[in-house]
Amino acid sequence: MTSADAANYYFKKAARIMDVGERIETLLVTPLREVKAQVSIELDNGEIRTFQGFRCQHDNSRGPMKGGLRYHPQVDAEEVMGLASLMTWKTAVVNLPYGGAKGGITVDPSTLSLKELERLTRKFVDQIHDVIGPTRDIPGPDLNTNPQVMAWIMDQYSKYHGHAPAVVTGKPVELYGSKGRETATARGLLSVCRQILQDVGLPMKGMRFAVQGFGNVGSHVSRLFAEAGGVLVAVSDVHGGVQNPRGLDVPGLFEHVKRQGSVKNFGGGTACTNEEVLTADCDVLVPAALGSVVDKELAKEVRARIVLEGANAPCTPEADEIFEQRGVLVVPDILANAGGVTVSYFEWVQNLQHVTWDEERVNSELDRMMAEAYEKVGQISRSRKLALRTSAYVLAIGRVGKATVLRGI
Amino acid sequence: MSITTQLVKKLVQIPIFGGLTVGEAAAFFEVAHEASVGKGATLFREGDDGDALLVILEGEVAVTRKGIELARLGKHTVLGEMSLMGEGEVRSATATALTDVKVLNVPSKRVQKMLKDDDVAALKVVANLAQVMSKRLQAINERLVSMSGGKKKEELADFGRILTTWQF
Repeated sequence: MTSADAANYYFKKAARIMDVGERIETLLVTPLREVKAQVSIELDNGEIRTFQGFRCQHDNSRGPMKGGLRYHPQVDAEEVMGLASLMTWKTAVVNLPYGGAKGGITVDPSTLSLKELERLTRKFVDQIHDVIGPTRDIPGPDLNTNPQVMAWIMDQYSKYHGHAPAVVTGKPVELYGSKGRETATARGLLSVCRQILQDVGLPMKGMRFAVQGFGNVGSHVSRLFAEAGGVLVAVSDVHGGVQNPRGLDVPGLFEHVKRQGSVKNFGGGTACTNEEVLTADCDVLVPAALGSVVDKELAKEVRARIVLEGANAPCTPEADEIFEQRGVLVVPDILANAGGVTVSYFEWVQNLQHVTWDEERVNSELDRMMAEAYEKVGQISRSRKLALRTSAYVLAIGRVGKATVLRGI
Repeated sequence: MSITTQLVKKLVQIPIFGGLTVGEAAAFFEVAHEASVGKGATLFREGDDGDALLVILEGEVAVTRKGIELARLGKHTVLGEMSLMGEGEVRSATATALTDVKVLNVPSKRVQKMLKDDDVAALKVVANLAQVMSKRLQAINERLVSMSGGKKKEELADFGRILTTWQF
């Protein structure tokens, strides 16, 4: 099950609980527009290659649509559509004035040179520039796309429409990007972590946590949580993992990764597998790598009391059921990892207003928005006796639904 | 053909000839002629030229379209009245005699000529026809509404009401 399938499953579950009816369900789930573009470029050796590009715009009732652009061999129309709807719900949960979108190009970027990647990006913008824009649809980074790619998008779009940095977020800080963007998702996770710990009466200081994944999210989570008083007991990346029940030395771990390119073989603990990280004895588990890593069987073995979904859909719906039965609290992806898109929103706001916020302001605004979102989801969860995930979807459907009703069809 | 005063008196009781004086009715039916068909015969077919209005004098007629019976008409009812609306009108349904049938045939060309001459009788008939049509349209509208579930749906408003029960 892909993260898109999972999102669709949870959406349906919440929509049925709210009893919105089949036709309203269809209205909410059907995307506004799907664009498929042919992206042909000349490779460095003179060969011509044609790729498929996609942009799905799911819902704009709450504002311009927002969502990442990914470069991956498995990108197709269906995946992009599912992920676009996920963005609609995610932006609604954190109450950003956005709808949801997603896009991508079916390509393995590791097979392209930097020049080829640039040509591919610019050509794709040529094909979609008239459907995106600061008030229409604002792409951002996703799988295998980075600030450089965003800079090319901004530049190419500006050739058609004039200077328009707000057309895309996740740009380099030197080129209209926002401070704090890189750590945004991890900081959002820290924010909801603090709140849920408070709810269950656990102190942040001495809280033991495990992180699967050491990329943009996992590495910053490890550092930020440790700086806040947490004890990192297990961590892993694609190559392998390391654990220490008494706590890993996080600055030392960063040094090791800098030298070796992986957390594997870090001297401050014993080697472990990726799976062992997920079942490590800890208070908080943060799966921040791939989707569907926690399935039904593994969910029975998880020893953490709280699961923070750093990645999109790291737990399967079956695993989610098991957690609910076992009383393990799961902070769902559409809430937990919404810090990324929230700071993207701040970047857009700064670009539109031609101002720059300092990092302190970015972080405190982020904390405020994450806290508000967590608080609302928690309210629904308590008053309706629903899991946090279902509550988050109920909140999202309610907000998108209300905007739809107020606007009229 | 001249029709009897007795028949004229009957005819002016039919809604679309209502309000005609006996004299006007006599003039209106001046060129009408009677025709008889046997049981099972077809009076006209869907798609035929609508060249006349028929008044059933005796017998019973089934009106069908694509094999579906729309109506059964008896003595002193009118069919093919749409043909009065203008030239080029084709029959919108098929009329079949269920019994031996006697009809009075009023050529539509004749009526249209009368209308051109501002003939009062023809104008009265057309005014009556407009009333009959509007009643029929109303009935069809009501039927449409009942077919779509009895009452008008308000799905968006209903959704809005559902959402108010999920206030946060």
